This record gives sequence, structure tokens and C-alpha cells, in this order.
Amino acid sequence: METKVLRMLVPMALEGLKVTLGVFAITLIVSLPLAIVVAKLRMSNNKITSKITGTYIYIMRGTPLLLQLMFIFFGFYRVPYIGYPFSREQAIIIAFVLNYTAYFAEIFRGGINSIDVGQHEASLVLGLSKIHTFMKIILPQVIKNVMPSIGNEVITLVKDTSLVYILGSSDILKAARSVSNVYAAFSPYIYIGIVYLVIVAVLTKILDKIESKYNYYR
Amino acid sequence: MVLLVENLSKSFGNNEVFHDISFSVNIGEIVCIRGKSGEGKTTLLRCLTSLETADKGSIKINNMYLCKEDNNNIKYAQKNELQAIRQEIGLVFQNFNLFPHMNIMENLMEAPLFLKNDARENIKSRAEELLKSLELEGKEDSYPFQLSGGQQQRVAIARACMLNPSVLCFDEPTSALDDQTRGQISKIIKYLSSEGIAIIIVTHDNAFADEIAHRIITMKDGKITIEEQ
Repeated sequence: METKVLRMLVPMALEGLKVTLGVFAITLIVSLPLAIVVAKLRMSNNKITSKITGTYIYIMRGTPLLLQLMFIFFGFYRVPYIGYPFSREQAIIIAFVLNYTAYFAEIFRGGINSIDVGQHEASLVLGLSKIHTFMKIILPQVIKNVMPSIGNEVITLVKDTSLVYILGSSDILKAARSVSNVYAAFSPYIYIGIVYLVIVAVLTKILDKIESKYNYYR
Repeated sequence: MVLLVENLSKSFGNNEVFHDISFSVNIGEIVCIRGKSGEGKTTLLRCLTSLETADKGSIKINNMYLCKEDNNNIKYAQKNELQAIRQEIGLVFQNFNLFPHMNIMENLMEAPLFLKNDARENIKSRAEELLKSLELEGKEDSYPFQLSGGQQQRVAIARACMLNPSVLCFDEPTSALDDQTRGQISKIIKYLSSEGIAIIIVTHDNAFADEIAHRIITMKDGKITIEEQ
């Protein structure tokens, strides 16, 4: 029985792993830099800019990611004027990126606020430009400070990828469900649970490495 | 005369910090500004270093106007001119504000490299020279947190001197120092002044001011009195 289960589960899980890791990687690569921009906009002195960004963050954090996925795939094409029928893959990436950018942006905003104003003032007196100050003086210190919180979100993201089932995409959890239905067995869920744990273990290692890389100063 | 302040006023809302202040500082002169806390010493220093904008009056550094009176309005220098003026006046912060993620050499070289003041090798040898004269040899690769308070302060001085300022300002330089490092900092300040740098020191440390200053400016109730030493 178990060999039958595994024989069906392994190829399906490998296919599903592509989806899980693909959604994970693309979301991370796009939303992290985007979040820094959004955090800056949110902190802008321009009231309109900061209000719009604040509303965006409120909506993204205030509604379930599952609902956002459904809206972008099933609902957005009905929106007058701007509606567009996104493909399943596009909808998934857009929803994940929009959602995670909002969370990351709030983390970065907190990180930027935590930097002593003296760092800005020292840069100003030394004649550094605003952009140079942000990129070379502020941001490296922000990244050190926000790494633990970013790490948390990164691990949540791994598990959130399982939400893609709602649009009919087949990730590793979907593979477990299919196999479980065929053989009326629960074990596929256990195996896939272990796969999640392995992914998270690897990520935890990588995150620790990055954190300790920033330990060279206090 | 390297710094000329005329009729300078500054308020925060309805709270007038100082009013109609005028003084000048010559090449190599050491001027101490003292007064009780809340009398606006640091605000004055922040106006000189353009961290704060004044409401009225003019500030002239090395024959360039940072700001000047124009039909009862204050007019600040244009952006590129402002950058040149900023380089003429350095500031050593009370808590130094070194860049914690950069080693000492990087702290020193960051601004001149960005401003493209000179070739990289020349900037580096200038930094090495400064570190040597401030007894910081061998600290090039250290990070600020690895240094003592006195050493960090000397790094901050070296960092400011990298831009060859005509005027160097100090905000409460003795506040965090013991007697020995205090002696060292007064030696360094005298050395810098002998090199022709005008020094402005904000302090409430009267003994230090008496020892080091050529002139003492006392701030009280938004006005100043000047005494020669």
C-alpha cells in the first residue's frame, strides 16, 4: 500500500515542488526590492503619496490572501475600464507579490525609522546625497535590523504558497490531497508535511547565515 | 575672516531661540560658545552647518554665502553651491555619529570618494596621514564599536578633516570624556587651529572653554556677549 502511495505521490510532488518553489522564489525576488520603494513612499512627506500607499497596505493586510487570489483571477476582469483577464500564473504572482510587498514594506518602514537621525545628519554634513545616504549608509543598517522579521515572513511565505490550490494550481499540498483521495490514505499529508519541514530547515540555515554575516558590527 | 555671522535669528514656532546674533571667526581662531542648556547653542551650531535653516540674517563661510538677507527674506545658496559651502564647514557631533557598519578607513573615505575630491590613492594616503596624526594608526580596519569613546571622537574629527574644512565645529566635545582624553582632545584642537582651521566649540564646560578659547561667546536669553581671552 505505502509503496503504491509513494509511487503516485513522488512524481506529483516533484511537479508540485516546481509550483511551490517557483511562487516562493518569484514572490521573494520581486517583493523585497519593491517593498523598500513602497516603504519610502509610505514615509513620503507628500500626504497623498503616503495616504495612497497606506491604503494599499491596509487592504493587503486587512483581507485574506486567499480572497486576494480569488479577486485577481475571478473578479478583476469584471472591473470596469481597468479590468483584465489575468492567466492563472499571472494572478498567482500578482496576488502574492502585492500581498508580501505590503508586509515587507511595513517591516522596512519600521527598520528605517529605527535608524538614528544622527546617521542622516552626519551624511548631510559630509555632503553625501540623499540617494547615496539611503543606499550606502541607511539601508545596510536597516537590513541588519529587519533580518529576523523578514525571516519570519519568508517562512510564512513557504506555507502560504499552498493557497494556490484555490485557482486550480497543483503545488505539493495539492499532490498530497490527490493521492490521499485515490488511496483513502492520510500518509501523503505526512510526507508532504516533512517536505515543508525540510524546505524550512534549509531556509532557516540560509537566514541564519545572512544574519551572522551582519554580525561583524554592532 | 573665515566665518561671518550677521543678524542671525531663529525661532521654533513662537519660541525664539536667538535673535539678531552677529560675530566672526578668523583663520585658526578657537571660539567657544557657552551658555546654559536650552539657550540655543546647539541650534546655532546646527544653523552654521545647515542642519537647521535660520529665519533671518546671513552666514558667510570663506567668502561664500550660505544664506543672506534679501528684502527681509532669507535666501539660501543654490544646491551645487550649497555642497561646496558644506565642505568648508565640518561638524563633530556630540555622539560622533560614525557609520557603524563601515570600518574606520571606510568612514573616512566615504565622503571624499562620493564627492570625487581627489583620486582614490590620494584620498587614502590623506586618511592614513590623518589617522597617524590623531594617534589612530593600526585602527584602519577596526569598526567603531571596537574603539573607546575618545578614539571614536578622534575618528569623527578625522572624518570631518578629510574634506579640508576651513571651519570645524564641535558639539560638547568634552561631555563623554575622562580627564586624560580631555587633555588629548584639547591638544588636538590646538593642533588643528595651528594648521589654520577655525574652530567653533559649543560647550557648557567652563574650565575647558577658559583653557582653550581665544574668544568666548556666551549665549543668554537669545543674545550673545563676546569676551576676548
